[in-house]
Amino acid sequence: MTLLETHDLTAGYGPITVLHGLELQVDEGEIVVILGANGAGKTTTMRAISGVIPRHGSVTFEGRSIGRASPDSIVRHGLAQVPQGRGTFPELSVEDNMKCGAYVRRDGSAAIAADVKRWFGTFPRLAERRNQRAGSLSGGEQQMLAIARALMSRPKLLLCDEPSLGLAPLITQELFAVLEHLNRDEGLSVLLVEQNANLAMHMASRVYLLETGRVVATGTGEELSADDTIRKAYLGF
Amino acid sequence: MERFLQYLFDGLSIGSVYALMALGLVIIYRGTGHLNFAQGEMALFSTYVVYQMGEWGIPIGIALIIGLAVGFLIGAATEVFLVRPVAKKSAFAVFIVTLGLFQGLNWLDSAIWGDQVLPNSAVSKQQQFPTLFPNKSTDFVRILGAEWRLKYLGVLLLVLVLTAVMFLVFNKSRAGLAMRAVASNSESAKLVGIRTHQVLMVSWGLASAIGALGGVVFAGINGTVNLNLMFTVFIYGSAAATLGGFDSPGGAVLGGLMIGVIENMAAGYFPDWVGQEMKLGLAFVVIVGVLLVKPSGMFGTAKVERV
Repeated sequence: MTLLETHDLTAGYGPITVLHGLELQVDEGEIVVILGANGAGKTTTMRAISGVIPRHGSVTFEGRSIGRASPDSIVRHGLAQVPQGRGTFPELSVEDNMKCGAYVRRDGSAAIAADVKRWFGTFPRLAERRNQRAGSLSGGEQQMLAIARALMSRPKLLLCDEPSLGLAPLITQELFAVLEHLNRDEGLSVLLVEQNANLAMHMASRVYLLETGRVVATGTGEELSADDTIRKAYLGF
Repeated sequence: MERFLQYLFDGLSIGSVYALMALGLVIIYRGTGHLNFAQGEMALFSTYVVYQMGEWGIPIGIALIIGLAVGFLIGAATEVFLVRPVAKKSAFAVFIVTLGLFQGLNWLDSAIWGDQVLPNSAVSKQQQFPTLFPNKSTDFVRILGAEWRLKYLGVLLLVLVLTAVMFLVFNKSRAGLAMRAVASNSESAKLVGIRTHQVLMVSWGLASAIGALGGVVFAGINGTVNLNLMFTVFIYGSAAATLGGFDSPGGAVLGGLMIGVIENMAAGYFPDWVGQEMKLGLAFVVIVGVLLVKPSGMFGTAKVERV
């Protein structure tokens, strides 16, 4: 079943248009990866879907249009974004950051506390630092916190914007393992933007290749890496 | 000792008013990074409203609630209609808008109530501006020889209770969490589903209502209201917020109390040197001193950048 679908999605910043009619689809239970060079429009795609920047064209989520919805109501639809550069609340404690993630939930503080405990179990290093200010965490810890915070809203689809940015390879592998696990065992769908093509393609159900705001190729990881031109031009191996 | 205590008590009481002004400034600054120049004049309008209620024979308890509601509406409307449209363009534009509002509100007050000191026997039924606390000349407690009049002591207690309540709201409630999140990272706040526009509107309303409370208790202490009432309070309140740290509500309250005490001690012990006229200069000395030594204030967090 189709979870997220964009049709003729156009977006940009002020007079500059970055996305030129983007067509994208994420089915339930999939991990979809967007690859592309710097400036291809990967982050803009994420920001357009989550409603942070003005956009044109249609975006539907579970068949309902969210193309004109505000960011806060899009979260309420079940779509949570981990912004690039983590976007934690640096002045707030780790635990308060997590509670902010649960802001849209209405199922009571006991259920929220149980989820905090659960994600502390998944990310034990966050549990150790629960009372520290998020700004004092290392890059990897902040990325974990950003993902945990997004999961606190119990999303159906997680948008992850380059979680590997600035992280050591081992930490990146650890993070991706968590995402794969959540996808396999919890049925969480993931839309992932990455430059780390090797690692991301390995776990992707489907890959979109972006160039100057358009999809230039799509397929499974194997299909794309089998194509010599694509492999050399975009994937670098 | 008696003299010292007297200056201390007077300082703490007047400092409570500065604390309320500073608290309002800090709530707005934390949310949006703007210094609200009209904070004092927004409070003054509500203070005049409370005076007017008194003229109509409405008891001070109800008049205060109405005054605070008016204060909240002024603040919320200012954010929605004046600040929000220009904030996207530049922070400097917001500065100009609040400066314009400062002028505009003062003009409005003068158009409605004139430039006289109110209440006065020519136009008012009230003898003096209504106070929330017992105000007879016998209403005081004596501590080690120094007198603390109940209307002064009451102001301090009011501010301490309000500070405790605000602390709980900020740190324990869902709304407080949202306010802190918006102050910390506005875009991420949107991404977790916080309606940041609503939070900012309520923050401005709250700040303005707190300012209105400051105006009403200050007019109660003075017994009168006039067009210049809140100007010095705004200056002292800014000094207090600078001293405490512009993003720390607790620091703002402590800063307010400290400024009040410093002001009273200086004017009391050095009457020739500082006196009543020169003591406003102390506020500027404090502002410049803090900015030179510790720009983030006592409890503020040093920001790397904030435009």
